[in-house]
Amino acid sequence: MSQRAITSAPATDTTDADPMSQDAYTVSTADRVKAFLSPSNIGGVYVLLVMIVIFSIWVPDIFPEWDTAKQIMNTNAINALVALALIIPLSAGVFDLSVTATMTLSGVLCTYAVVNSGQPLIVGFLIAMGASVLVGVMNGVVVVVGKIDSLIATLATSFLVLAMVKWRTGSRNVSGVELSGSFTNIAQKAFGGLTLPVFYAVVLATIIWYVLEHTATGRRIYATGFNKEATRLASVRTERLRFGSLIVSSTLAGFAGIVLASNLGSGSPTAGTSYLLSAVAAVFLGATQLKHGRFNAWGTIIAVLILGTGTTGLGLAKVDQWAQDVFTGVVLIAALALTGLEVRRAGSESRRARSKRRSALTADGQVPSSTTVGTSA
Amino acid sequence: MTALTPSRGATTHSRPNVVDDGQRTLLRVTGVSKTFPGTKALDNVDFDVRAGEIHALVGHNGSGKSTLIKVLSGYHSPDPGALAWLDGEPVDITELGHGTHGAAGRLSFVHQDLGLVLEMNAIDNLALRGGFARTHFGRVKWREQNRAARRLMAPFAVDFDIHQPLSKATPVERTIVAIAAALQGWDSHGGVLVLDEPTAVLPPGEVHRLFKTVRALRDNGAGMVYVSHRLDEIFGLCDRVTVLRNGKEVATRDVAGLSKGELVHLMLGVEMQPDYRAPVPETVSTEPLLEVRGLAGVYLRNTTFALHRGEVLGIAGLPDSGRDELPRLLTDRSSMAYDGEVRVAGPSPRWTAFSAWKNDAVVLLPPDRGREGIISPMTVRENLTLSVLSRFGNPFRLDHRRERAFAAGWIDRLSVKTAGASSGVMTLSGGNQQKVLFGRTLARDPEVLVLCEPTAGVDIGARHAIYDFVAEQVRLGLSVIVASSDVGDLLALCTRILVLKDGVVAREMPAAGLTEHQLVHAMEGLESETQ
Repeated sequence: MSQRAITSAPATDTTDADPMSQDAYTVSTADRVKAFLSPSNIGGVYVLLVMIVIFSIWVPDIFPEWDTAKQIMNTNAINALVALALIIPLSAGVFDLSVTATMTLSGVLCTYAVVNSGQPLIVGFLIAMGASVLVGVMNGVVVVVGKIDSLIATLATSFLVLAMVKWRTGSRNVSGVELSGSFTNIAQKAFGGLTLPVFYAVVLATIIWYVLEHTATGRRIYATGFNKEATRLASVRTERLRFGSLIVSSTLAGFAGIVLASNLGSGSPTAGTSYLLSAVAAVFLGATQLKHGRFNAWGTIIAVLILGTGTTGLGLAKVDQWAQDVFTGVVLIAALALTGLEVRRAGSESRRARSKRRSALTADGQVPSSTTVGTSA
Repeated sequence: MTALTPSRGATTHSRPNVVDDGQRTLLRVTGVSKTFPGTKALDNVDFDVRAGEIHALVGHNGSGKSTLIKVLSGYHSPDPGALAWLDGEPVDITELGHGTHGAAGRLSFVHQDLGLVLEMNAIDNLALRGGFARTHFGRVKWREQNRAARRLMAPFAVDFDIHQPLSKATPVERTIVAIAAALQGWDSHGGVLVLDEPTAVLPPGEVHRLFKTVRALRDNGAGMVYVSHRLDEIFGLCDRVTVLRNGKEVATRDVAGLSKGELVHLMLGVEMQPDYRAPVPETVSTEPLLEVRGLAGVYLRNTTFALHRGEVLGIAGLPDSGRDELPRLLTDRSSMAYDGEVRVAGPSPRWTAFSAWKNDAVVLLPPDRGREGIISPMTVRENLTLSVLSRFGNPFRLDHRRERAFAAGWIDRLSVKTAGASSGVMTLSGGNQQKVLFGRTLARDPEVLVLCEPTAGVDIGARHAIYDFVAEQVRLGLSVIVASSDVGDLLALCTRILVLKDGVVAREMPAAGLTEHQLVHAMEGLESETQ
């Protein structure tokens, strides 16, 4: 065996790469910069810039101010935390709809422990995080062990989690003087005008980016999400990854819940649930940025900023509330549609010829099953 | 428009409406070129299909035959300069696949994946292509729909329940449903049917049923384009053959008068034996590496065999013999063996129950490349290294440089044709994707490699490259089990062949000197001593 192993291992299986074989895959720095800046890679950033220009012209007195930028970041930091929580399971091909329920549970448990049980903050924090991990385990058992479709399963567990919230709080806000001070500081303390959640989001995005891009686990997570069966046969423990990804999302959601409660200064039994739609929107929009068709952290951050800038700008322009939701919906559809086109164009065919022929393609069953964001979920 | 009736056509030798049918050209394209960034996939190809012929289109992966099919179907638009005629009438080549020229000039396609919805029954699948019969209120007239489906299926003389989901039908029945769906509203005298590797997923015993259908359509005056990798099918079925190589049309010949060797020569450009045998060692040690006794699963009942060190052991058998199950039970943790024990050579070999066996050194090359092998949204490199990522760096850091070097080494070693390791794996041809999967499995340094349908959908050139590669690994000490429905794989590659029948090892035969005829006889359970 050893004899074969030596010869079968490619000559380049050493730290020092063979310069010849590297050559073909090394791209010049200029090309790499060009590829990075191309609209198909960071189109969202250009959209963001255009939006800033438009709003600066539309509401010149208020919008182009540093304070507005800070406000956008501060008000959307929790959105970003929730969206980031969704990335790992979605990359592994698992939907976790229960994140906002977990978030609510965590906020309520933490405040309840501090206010009603008179526990120190750290105990409340640990109780909340422990409960969140348990929700993740429950999701894992239902989805991975019970082999129930994750979309339905986590929808079902959300009800269970929210039931627990109602039972504990009687649907009333948990509030008290005990919460002011160190607890509210978790979310409200600011440095240079930016509140702490902005920093949490940046740190978390960095960690998620690193894990997905620069660890073997991250690669295996993506592979699991793309083709579970093939990945499993390639000796990857896909079920363990899926289980783990649900624990990650619940844990992150638990943390986001504490931050939300701190931000509100109370444990609200309903506040978390409104975050789900915009978080899902941001993650999917984020998958169209930077890493085509792959859910990724910085793309998600860009997406949160696009959606946040849009709604804030429209708010400052005194446009009705409903228009902000229209904006979110339209941006999402447009981004996903454009990415779909982009991915298909990557199949080396001009877009013009393709759109002309699209109807015929579907009839022939010929559209390549390339990754659009929708299919990778 | 009534459905065509091949069964009637088969008995009618005169072909009405076909004037001078030997000469009538239903489809002609000339000067077809297609340039992709960096490559010329098609270079000035001429191609025509006459009424009443089966015209084979062959060539190895990357020869341009799929590109040509995609140009005909309108998926790719060719470079300027290409011309097309349908039944003598000049038409815009980009409009060929649209069926806008009336039924007489219609091209129909049956693609390799058939384009069926397996959860639905034949009636639904036919209606999805041909349209539903509906009342003014939009309600589907099911009775009429059932009648239409029966009428469409009738000519093919298949006896199966059109009300049951196609997932329960056999592969050949599905293929026939796909053909029936493609032929709805078709005029057999002027239509051209393109069959893209229709036998790729068919068990050998069922291929003749498909051939009967295809011949009947031809005899009724249709023109057929038949894409296949299998030489036997071209000689058994087709009338003319067009060979593509590197995007160029090498030759168009009548099949009659052409020898296998000549055809292979045309395809490859080098002299190559169709009765090819990989250079595996003919004599191997009798030292058992892996012993299995009493293995039982869904199909397997009581299978006992031993794999010797440095041997290529073939597993032959009909589809329900347990041939497909054996590789799974040996390699896949999730597939459960009901019973059986295993003993692996080592310092202290002992019998272990299958359920308790850690089979890390026995690695599977899965049969279904698209579903179980390739991770299509990922790059060539990511596909190659997936199984061995832990070798690069540590759990907290993936060393991209080492990963790149590793992938580059395997690409070189397997001579994978790709623009680069960062290219999407779907830009590769089927044979090259298969090479990537070989790299992925061999990178794990297995002691036993279990190949399942190793050359499915792989052209003859890549096939020989794969055989040679496996043989090289065997000479270096790898032991291999090959389970394949393609007896060509077994005859080319194995040192010994086990024939499974009804879940037990029915015959054991040395592969050297074995003929296809003898092997197939043994698979069917007939005594082949007459040969």
